[in-house]
Amino acid sequence: MPDAAAAGEAQPGAPIWTAEVNTYGSESTQDLAARIGAALLPGDLLLLAGELGAGKTTFTQGLGVGLGVREGIISPTFVLSRVHPSVTGGPALVHVDAYRLSGVGELEDLDLEAGMDRSVTVVEWGTGMAEQLSDSRLEITLARETGSTMGGRDGAPVMEYPETDDDEPRTITVRAFGPAWTDRRIL
Amino acid sequence: MTSPAPLVLGIESSCDETGVGIVRGTELLANTVSSSMDEHVRFGGVIPEIASRAHLDAFVPTLQEALSTAGVTLDDVDALAVTSGPGLSGALMVGVAAAKAVALATGKPLYAINHLVAHVGVGVLDGGTLPSSLGALLVSGGHTEILRVNSLASDIELLGATIDDAAGEAYDKVARLLGLGYPGGPVIDRLAREGDAKAIRFPRGLTLPKFLGTAEAPGKHRYDFSFSGLKTAVARCVEQYQARGEEVPVADIAASFQEAVVDVVTKKAVMACTEQGLENLLLGGGVAANSRLRELLAARCASAGINLRIPPMGLCTDNGAMVAALAAQLVMNGVRPTGIGFSADSGQPVSQISL
Repeated sequence: MPDAAAAGEAQPGAPIWTAEVNTYGSESTQDLAARIGAALLPGDLLLLAGELGAGKTTFTQGLGVGLGVREGIISPTFVLSRVHPSVTGGPALVHVDAYRLSGVGELEDLDLEAGMDRSVTVVEWGTGMAEQLSDSRLEITLARETGSTMGGRDGAPVMEYPETDDDEPRTITVRAFGPAWTDRRIL
Repeated sequence: MTSPAPLVLGIESSCDETGVGIVRGTELLANTVSSSMDEHVRFGGVIPEIASRAHLDAFVPTLQEALSTAGVTLDDVDALAVTSGPGLSGALMVGVAAAKAVALATGKPLYAINHLVAHVGVGVLDGGTLPSSLGALLVSGGHTEILRVNSLASDIELLGATIDDAAGEAYDKVARLLGLGYPGGPVIDRLAREGDAKAIRFPRGLTLPKFLGTAEAPGKHRYDFSFSGLKTAVARCVEQYQARGEEVPVADIAASFQEAVVDVVTKKAVMACTEQGLENLLLGGGVAANSRLRELLAARCASAGINLRIPPMGLCTDNGAMVAALAAQLVMNGVRPTGIGFSADSGQPVSQISL
């Protein structure tokens, strides 16, 4: 499971710790996310990276379960940001999709910082933009098998995508940056 | 306020359309819409901040044009109405603030209206009173829902909804994968006509037995939708052609993707109506413009003995007339106005027809 990186005296810009986990389908991805969610605290910032269809919203649904926020996390693409209040007295989950934002200024327009210290903030497509929202963050990368590695039996393109296809494996990498994670190893 | 056909002015600003509509009972007098769509194209979707500013700029001219089209003045109006949710918070707030200002200035009663129910209520403008035993299928950029309309003025029930992306959103994301730009709906619909819808078999979300269950023992997601797995399948399909250095069969993918969306949406809507004993179905939302959705839904409703009602497109997309139309129904049913002591609710549940 997690392959530990040296904690403690990390250099600036280097992760405090790193973990890599393989999951097998959306349920196992959500189980992992729920474990992470249960260990999160108000003020935590998570950046989710991965291509369209990598499972970022699926992962966030699992985070929501672990955090104990109201059910019904759906894609924030259309509305850019959505708040899911806690049903267990814990922090709310602020779910942001930064794909359509062209820069830090537009991210600031969403006024995320106002409630960040009381919430857990998850930004999809936030890499290179949302880091500055906090001095600490978890960068979570979801990678699925891409179409480049698949092929039909006789080398022909795959033309059948069954309903169960979402059970394909994902490699999930978690990298912790900043002082908030120095003494918190959650994976 | 017991007028048999009250004159109602409705304001809509939940997304990128600024709409002001005026109705007298079930008669449409004006439906003025100003869209900021063009300003969102470069972002590949609606940006709330831009939409809010556009609403602010468009409101007064849109209001004036609607009044002049209807040939009435604010003094003539019996009641005002505004969409209070669901929608984009910042966008909703502009319409709500404008409506409150008009209410305060004129002293007219104000109704805070549910956007989704208004998509159903608009049906009265095209054919009069809605039939009983009615279901509604709402499909748009932000919504994919099946509703049961027990009473337009007092009792609406959510039967199913998307658990990840809205159908229109899936169109936008697939258009992005195929390099077709924004918005995705019209361009995919057009390309799909040149492609083979059976070329690729894409997944129909939440149709496995474990999600569906049976009519007697329904699974957790019997009437719900999911378009996330479909989007992933399209991404993988595109990637495999790119990796092989082959041309991506864009038209076939568009057609096969559209077929997967439309197949599952129509199948579940018809299944819900059949099992819930609903004899009529009303289609609403921007995706109602999709040619294949209309075609397949009409065919499946016909074979299931369900009477399908699709309002004219100008009433299916977001507009103020639908807000006015629903509010007029509330007035005629003696529902009390909201007043001005309310806030926009971006997550207003469908069961709250007015606040």
